[in-house]
Amino acid sequence: MTYQSPIALRLLVPLLCLALLPLIASAHVGHMDMADEPALGASAAFDANGRLWLATVRDGHVLLRHSEDLGRSFSQPVQVNPVAETIYASGENRPKVATGPAGQIDVQWTEQPTPGWTGYIRFARSTDGGRHFSAPITVNHDPAKVTRGFDSLAIAGNGDVVVAWIDGRDAAQAKSAGKPYAGFAFYYTWSTDGGETFAPERKLVDHSCECCRTALARQPDGKVAAFFRGVYEGNIRDHAFAVLHTDGQANHPERATFSNWRVAACPDQGPGLAIGAHGVRHAVWFEASHGPAIWYGQLDPGHAPRHALKLGGAGASHADVAVAGKTVWVAWNQVSAKGYSLILRVSHDGGAHFGEARTIASSKLAVGSPQLLERADAAYVAWNTADGFRLIAIKER
Amino acid sequence: MRRLLTILLLTVAATAFAGASAIEPLGPGDVAALLKPPARGERIIMLWSLDCVYCEPNMQALAKLQHAHPRHIQLVTVATDSIAQRTRIAARLDAAGMQGYPACAYTELSPARINFLIDPNWGGELPRTIVIRTDGSRTALSGELTDKQLAQITP
Repeated sequence: MTYQSPIALRLLVPLLCLALLPLIASAHVGHMDMADEPALGASAAFDANGRLWLATVRDGHVLLRHSEDLGRSFSQPVQVNPVAETIYASGENRPKVATGPAGQIDVQWTEQPTPGWTGYIRFARSTDGGRHFSAPITVNHDPAKVTRGFDSLAIAGNGDVVVAWIDGRDAAQAKSAGKPYAGFAFYYTWSTDGGETFAPERKLVDHSCECCRTALARQPDGKVAAFFRGVYEGNIRDHAFAVLHTDGQANHPERATFSNWRVAACPDQGPGLAIGAHGVRHAVWFEASHGPAIWYGQLDPGHAPRHALKLGGAGASHADVAVAGKTVWVAWNQVSAKGYSLILRVSHDGGAHFGEARTIASSKLAVGSPQLLERADAAYVAWNTADGFRLIAIKER
Repeated sequence: MRRLLTILLLTVAATAFAGASAIEPLGPGDVAALLKPPARGERIIMLWSLDCVYCEPNMQALAKLQHAHPRHIQLVTVATDSIAQRTRIAARLDAAGMQGYPACAYTELSPARINFLIDPNWGGELPRTIVIRTDGSRTALSGELTDKQLAQITP
């Protein structure tokens, strides 16, 4: 090996890039700093009065806006966290917003306290219609700067706030002890005092997947249940379901999908969950055991899902599900070379059969994950695109 | 001659260049060039992201493979994160010792479209390793490569 002088190398490396990759010569975004470009991670929720709330992230702040006219116009944004933080806001990590029966607006997000895979789960509440927020608090009691994120937020039937996330503390401890540990772990906590304090977090189960969003939904009994990707023996990336007990009862997480997809990878596609009035657990998930596929099914923990239906294959991603009475909606992104389509299928018999897939919106620019929302038994899709946020009403045929 | 020089330069750059990684934009219109068969040997495209915990060991394993076969392997890393995050991407590549390998990041805020253009039969799971040979044949593998898989893609 002949060592070159640093000056020669500085000249050679750009030459190398040019020779190897003609692509760099094309005029796209160049070298300008685009760090202030807002990420697409956003969440929306309706309150009891039908007002739409939207949480986005910009310049280190979670911003909350509301709309009185189904997303056509929005209020000026309110900064939820007055002091800027590094906030996860892309891909499957996004800020969350939930509304409570007394009109409270709960917002939750993941801060990156130090560079690398670190996270603190943060929370703030407004009790004056979104005008002001409580000082943000960190809900995880463990202060270790380890991986946390892919969090989710739900309000239990009794008004408790439930927050769940993927946590790397056990993996970090195992690593420092020189022991193997697959994936991360699923932790959750809850607040019984309106979000002022949260209980010490409880580990539901070891060996969750590392980088897929978690899903929470409220059961008819008011308890909150979770559906998330795990890592099973042999690096199988199937999903688990569990009721998240907040009363000291033992938890019983059970495997709930059985695709047997084995991969040492980050799928970056977490599942969705909606629970009907009779307790039917409508779920959507991604796996790639035989090529990429997103699925609908009704969870029967410990057994394969019922009424399993492959929704999409190549280019289909990031599905969500909602239920009201016998109507079940599933929506997902379908990408092609030309751009993105938002696809919908509807069932009127509780998920036993679904109508044809139809395109309800499209975008030539990048899009975030769709989120199905309900308002007075009608459904909408919240879709954040690089062109701006859209609320798409689902019109029944 | 120029191509030979290029490959030689790659060797030098991969093994001796100590500066920060330069991240170039990869847009939909650039995918065809990225996937063009190399004139000799094979091009290994290593797709990764900031969120991916399996990606750094995978790129380091591929760098080691490239180092062992400098005349026959071109290694390119492609972050599926938006190039808006170029500072974080460069810092991660530097920390992984990947200085000097050509590095790109997506121009779009969500990766699905460029993922689809690169490989429609890929769900976006990372790492994704794509090997392209002179005859245009490709091998695409998801996940951290096993020793057996590394042996399979060795030229």
